[in-house]
Amino acid sequence: MRQPIRAVATAAVAILIFSACSSGATPSPSGGGASPSGVSTPVSAPASAPASTSAFDPQSITGTVVLSGWQSTGAEGDALNATLDSFKTAYPNITLDYQPIATDYPTAMAAKFSSGEPPDLFYVDSSVAPDWIDQGVLQELDTTAAARGFDTSQFYPGYLDAFKGPDGKTYGYPKDGNTLGMAYNTDMLTAAGIQPPTNWTELAAAAAKLTTGNQKAFCLSHTLDRALAFIYQNGGSLFSDDKKTNTVDSPETAEAIKTYLGFFQNGQAARPADLGDDWCGKALGEKKVAMIFEGGWLDPFMTSSFPDTKYAWAEMPMGKEKATLGFTVSYSIGADSANKDPAWVLLTYLTGPDGMKKWTEGGIANPSRKDVAPAAGKEVLVQSADFAKPWSFIPGFSKVSDAFNNAMTTQIEAKSDDPAPVVSATSSAIDTALGQ
Amino acid sequence: MAAVTVGTSSGRSAGRGIRGERRAEMLTGLAFVFIPLLLYVFLYFGAMVYAAYISLWRWGLRGPRAFLGVHNYEQVFGDPIFWKAVTNTLYYVAVWVPLTMALGLFLAVIVNQGLRGQTFFRAAFYFPTLASSAAITVVWIFLLQPDGLFNSARAVAGLNPIFQALGYTDNFNWLGSSRTAMNAIILLNAWTTSGTVMLFYLTFLQQISRDIYEAAAIDGAGAWQTFRRITFPLLRPAHFFVATLLVIGGFKLFDQAIIAGGRGGEPSNSLTTIVLFIYRSAITDSEFGYAAAVGVVLFAIIFTLTLAQRRIFGEAPSW
Repeated sequence: MRQPIRAVATAAVAILIFSACSSGATPSPSGGGASPSGVSTPVSAPASAPASTSAFDPQSITGTVVLSGWQSTGAEGDALNATLDSFKTAYPNITLDYQPIATDYPTAMAAKFSSGEPPDLFYVDSSVAPDWIDQGVLQELDTTAAARGFDTSQFYPGYLDAFKGPDGKTYGYPKDGNTLGMAYNTDMLTAAGIQPPTNWTELAAAAAKLTTGNQKAFCLSHTLDRALAFIYQNGGSLFSDDKKTNTVDSPETAEAIKTYLGFFQNGQAARPADLGDDWCGKALGEKKVAMIFEGGWLDPFMTSSFPDTKYAWAEMPMGKEKATLGFTVSYSIGADSANKDPAWVLLTYLTGPDGMKKWTEGGIANPSRKDVAPAAGKEVLVQSADFAKPWSFIPGFSKVSDAFNNAMTTQIEAKSDDPAPVVSATSSAIDTALGQ
Repeated sequence: MAAVTVGTSSGRSAGRGIRGERRAEMLTGLAFVFIPLLLYVFLYFGAMVYAAYISLWRWGLRGPRAFLGVHNYEQVFGDPIFWKAVTNTLYYVAVWVPLTMALGLFLAVIVNQGLRGQTFFRAAFYFPTLASSAAITVVWIFLLQPDGLFNSARAVAGLNPIFQALGYTDNFNWLGSSRTAMNAIILLNAWTTSGTVMLFYLTFLQQISRDIYEAAAIDGAGAWQTFRRITFPLLRPAHFFVATLLVIGGFKLFDQAIIAGGRGGEPSNSLTTIVLFIYRSAITDSEFGYAAAVGVVLFAIIFTLTLAQRRIFGEAPSW
């Protein structure tokens, strides 16, 4: 009895040792042979990119394309599925495999990039675009666009520029776009007898009139993705135009931050968390505040959660100049994608005039192209793209925005309007990020 | 192992030496543990070694980009956010571990009194441990909202003057203020973990002989004296066991922090823990080499502290 067991066990050991040896080679790091890849690795242009523009016929492309992104709401999923259906009708030779990602998107994508098997076409948020471009995981598109005659001039520059790398090349086309506008409670402004403020002077006057009892004039986020609009309006900035120089330490930036902090200091503004809300949209819906600065994502939320709160959109009040922030998401092709040609066809359909019209006509998203008309009621937010600056900077920018946000929290909690600590914290974070 | 060897060798025929016999036995034993061992070596030990290797590189989404040597470590030690994460984590461990141990011991001693409904209380105290940390953190966030149950309850209870004297407004945002956010998480985790700690202590409590308590009672010892002089010292192995587990767990604080404070550990990095910092470096910044370096540093911290704990509580007890 014992003997056979031992024989089997010994054989098992032998087999396992062998398989362990062979599999042992696989997980071991690429070691000395690992040439640092990433940006230095040249991304090959699509293999079949023809030399002449006229030769390209998207209908001739066959194959499968895996599309990934996230879905915020069911309505968004419906609109996308309708758009994808029209693509399938227009391009029957291409098999579309839509794989939405339900978990944390950057985490899931990091795993896919690391394994070298990204989806062929996928969403890239403007805020992570510089990091992903720097990591070399996105396919450069300009070469193909030139060869195949895809016109990018109709995209609002405030959106398209978010996906340009330090080499000046484009790594994604905006699938839609949003700007910050001012959403205001029409009843409250009427009760106070005022029109929506159009500049900073009127804004300060309106703030004073609209702060009564428990009602605050604004819900303001302390974060850079809101406050930066005011910094731009005052002529301030974070970087030089080539994003190589730190320009945050300027009187214009400091003055804008001081004004912003002042609204908290004098009790006219509160952070959403201080109002018991997770974001300012909810505070507007609950009629705790008269004005907020948000984007088109507010509309579906208000319709579903607060249909009784009357509100309207106005352009951001202008400071020394008109400015707002542009938030956008691109469709980009994976550098390691094996199906770049069908991915290109899908990309240019979705970001082209027909696909984008289909995608945005229900009002679920705002077009990022000038030749696609906005849905009714979306005019203010769409047209603000003319003076929007992209929410997209340099690799490692999240540390800059963390530094700004944390310094703002400290100042707001201390009820101070001194911009100096915010400027210096942001400035040193920018220096660190630029130095990398 | 030894018993098995003796048993088998006794019945063997002569001709093969005891040595060969032992070897064969060892091979059989190894064969049985081989698969778990292999998994351990590759998934745990292998991953650790690989992380140490990665930490020497600038390592991005598509693998190694440049060899840096110890540069990542220099960066880590020069990064103020890293030190903020270390301070936060040390503070968390320093407050949470004793608090949870005290609470767990308190519950265990009470439940061990042989009260009626002991099973019910044991289950009730253990219950929060069963809830998923994500769900219970969200519940906690709701409770601590400015217009949440906690603020309403203290208003109803008439406690607001006391809170005002301490500098907390009536609709204070407990998780949104850098002064209180970490303490709120400490309370949450002390509550949810104390059930487990109670169970550990209960096991050890029930091993203490009744005779000792009887002798103490005959000598006229009061309840506090009995606890102070008998129960507490005799639980020394339990203290070591629980403290080690909690310290290691405390250094790995992550889920409650990211749910309440987001990736940024808001407000003002007050909820940025070492593990959240690792996550942020890897996932948000795509700097896997840097993240691995922080991981190695965290390993060194936990390893050192566990050794120190063994010193404090003596050798690992043989339970």
